[in-house]
Amino acid sequence: MDQDQERRRGHFHRGRRGPDRRPSDRRPPQPHAQERPGRDQVDVEQIMRDIRARITRRGGLDLSDQQIEDLAVRRLESILDPRAMKPEFLNQLRRSADEFVERQGKTPSGEPAYAFEDTTIYDSHRGALRFIRRLLNPLLKLFFNPNPLIRALHLQARLNVEAAERDAERDRRQAEWNALHYKIVERLVTEVSRVSIELQSLSMRVESLDAKVEFNERRVRSIEGSVHRSRPLGRPADAVAASPAASPTVESEAAPANAVTATVEGQPSAGTRRRRRRRRGRRLGMTPGEAAAAPLPAGAPPAPADANADPQPAVERAQDAGAASPRPAPPPLFPPPAPDERAAPEPPAEQPGADRTEP
Amino acid sequence: MKLAIVVQRYGADISGGAELHARYLAERLSARAEVRVLTTCARDYLTWRNEFAPGPDEVNGVPVERFLVSRERDLHDFGLRSQRVFGRTHSLQDELEWLGSQGPVSRKLMFRLHRATEFDFVLLFSVRYYQAYYGARIVPERAVLVPTAEREGALGLAIFQPIFRGVRAIMYNSFEERALINAVAGNQEVPGTVVGVGSVIPTVVEAARARQKFGLSGPFVLYVGRIDANKGCPELFDFFTGYAEQSPRQLDLVLIGAPMLPIPKHPRIQHLGYVSDQDKFDVLAAAEALIMPSYYESLSMVALEAWALGRPVVANAHCDVLLGQCLRSNAGLYYEDASEFGAVLDLLLDDRSLAEALGRNGREYFARHYSWPVIEGKYFEMFARLASEPALQRMEPLPGWFARRRPTVPAAIDVLAELPSGPAAAYGAAAEVPA
Repeated sequence: MDQDQERRRGHFHRGRRGPDRRPSDRRPPQPHAQERPGRDQVDVEQIMRDIRARITRRGGLDLSDQQIEDLAVRRLESILDPRAMKPEFLNQLRRSADEFVERQGKTPSGEPAYAFEDTTIYDSHRGALRFIRRLLNPLLKLFFNPNPLIRALHLQARLNVEAAERDAERDRRQAEWNALHYKIVERLVTEVSRVSIELQSLSMRVESLDAKVEFNERRVRSIEGSVHRSRPLGRPADAVAASPAASPTVESEAAPANAVTATVEGQPSAGTRRRRRRRRGRRLGMTPGEAAAAPLPAGAPPAPADANADPQPAVERAQDAGAASPRPAPPPLFPPPAPDERAAPEPPAEQPGADRTEP
Repeated sequence: MKLAIVVQRYGADISGGAELHARYLAERLSARAEVRVLTTCARDYLTWRNEFAPGPDEVNGVPVERFLVSRERDLHDFGLRSQRVFGRTHSLQDELEWLGSQGPVSRKLMFRLHRATEFDFVLLFSVRYYQAYYGARIVPERAVLVPTAEREGALGLAIFQPIFRGVRAIMYNSFEERALINAVAGNQEVPGTVVGVGSVIPTVVEAARARQKFGLSGPFVLYVGRIDANKGCPELFDFFTGYAEQSPRQLDLVLIGAPMLPIPKHPRIQHLGYVSDQDKFDVLAAAEALIMPSYYESLSMVALEAWALGRPVVANAHCDVLLGQCLRSNAGLYYEDASEFGAVLDLLLDDRSLAEALGRNGREYFARHYSWPVIEGKYFEMFARLASEPALQRMEPLPGWFARRRPTVPAAIDVLAELPSGPAAAYGAAAEVPA
């Protein structure tokens, strides 16, 4: 039973993507769900820890809006440096925004507005007391006249209400402005955060591509070196020297076509062809066997059908063709074409590699 | 042994959590004791309108006595009083008036309890209701309270603390509920045990029949219960629609229950309405998992039913009770936010063996803790213990007229905020041994 459990739970990580696909020796050691004792070898706490760790790892640069906002708030604090800005400015903004939000859900603050009528001073929530007061009211009016007092308090109650309304309106407008300002600044910082995160992501990608390019250059150099070492000694050196198109650069517009033409129309050795087929197979995502089985157009340079593919393979292809090397090219294995062929106005249609070297 | 069960509503067609709990318990305990249910004539818990005829009745073989509700609930008044006692400093009198406003006020039921000397014990359901509060004050030495309390405002009211300290025993639904009540009332010395409730699981469950009847072709997750904001349904809709938009999986959300809020129009959300128990179990058996989005539960019976059928549960991790159940049973996963919700669903759909293992654990957990023989055994053990021991605690009387009106009682939500939170015990035997 336990062995069955182990087998069944063994594929728990199999479907993962991204950093989880790293070999297990590079993963931080974590106790596995099935390693914990528990009923039926399942530990939900450990499973949830795994899920949360996976979400955190996946987080990386793929941040949620909420995370970006949190980040923006932190950046807002660093941008609004108290040394450069008015002290407490950020707190004031925050308070204003919060107050506005709070007021949205509340009635106008302050003392409750009271109404003062002629019966108010005799009123009571107890019916009996109210009745007695009403009975004694004429007697009370013998001692003093309460009407001016009632009128004054009634007027004051009305003034209080109006003043409260004015204050509330003023506060509301001010709070709206404050909230608007805060929101604008917050959104700006959020956008800056988002853009800087994207910039970081892009710069990392550029670095990665740069490393790939460098690696490929080194590989091309080594291949060329090996080719150079294996060149037959009886090769006519003057033919090499007489060929100006034998060492074109990528920037040249006309030379690549010639260079490709030179490579294509020449007859490469069997060993070179095998190496190029292997590389083409890798570029196309094929296994070496599939690459070997793939049909190669007669006379065409090894290149994928999609001209808009990743630029790095294009460079690699151009280097394969001996056309894109910034260094002096090694002597061609075969004589260059005749000068009239090199001066042809348009490259042949079956040379897509030449088009790709053009800007 | 003669037992009385006092509950706010009672009927074969009443499906509220505490009411169903009371009915199941009455029907099961009646096999070994003489059980009589004392309840009101109300059917609707919002209005307490008298809909059943008063007098003796019988439901599934259990004798029932129904009493008229003195006044219906005034929702506006109840709302105002709730705001006062939950949100502001107030007096005990305010709380008592809140209790009366909540209802169901049935003076005849209270008179009946005064005369209920023939019962050995009186089981009082749902402490927050009028009949449980005054019932406990009328027969404290025989009162066995089933509080069905959640982490909500009423638990923070001061009037309930003497009840928790003064009843003869308390039958808790979960460890989290016990921890909350112990913290709020300091009643550790009151005999109590974590029992919960079983469920009536049909012997034959046909998932294919449910799929055919309701046109459920693909995989789906299920929610069963009142479709209400209090149950966390808006958050569930948000999370699920977000998941459905981002995920390539063809996963549906199926809802069973009465809608109290509008259900989003989404091609992947299906609402089946109110269905029979057999249909509910059939659909549950066909589901990939049961979703429990509620923030507050004292015990989720539908989660237990899912586990009884071997289905995993996906619970809201913000609900202490559900989280504790998932951890103790090893039979459910949980989520705190949308990303975890999606990840949990993906994991359950990807790893069938994990879902099966969770289901097996759930079935075992249900059989070990919530099967009827276990539940009945815990109740009768408690009755035997209470019969053999003298009552140690006394019900504290209500304060005097002036003290009740002194506005010094803190707001209930402030009291609640001070209470401990989190699952009571994640692992270990201590959590599973009755107190």
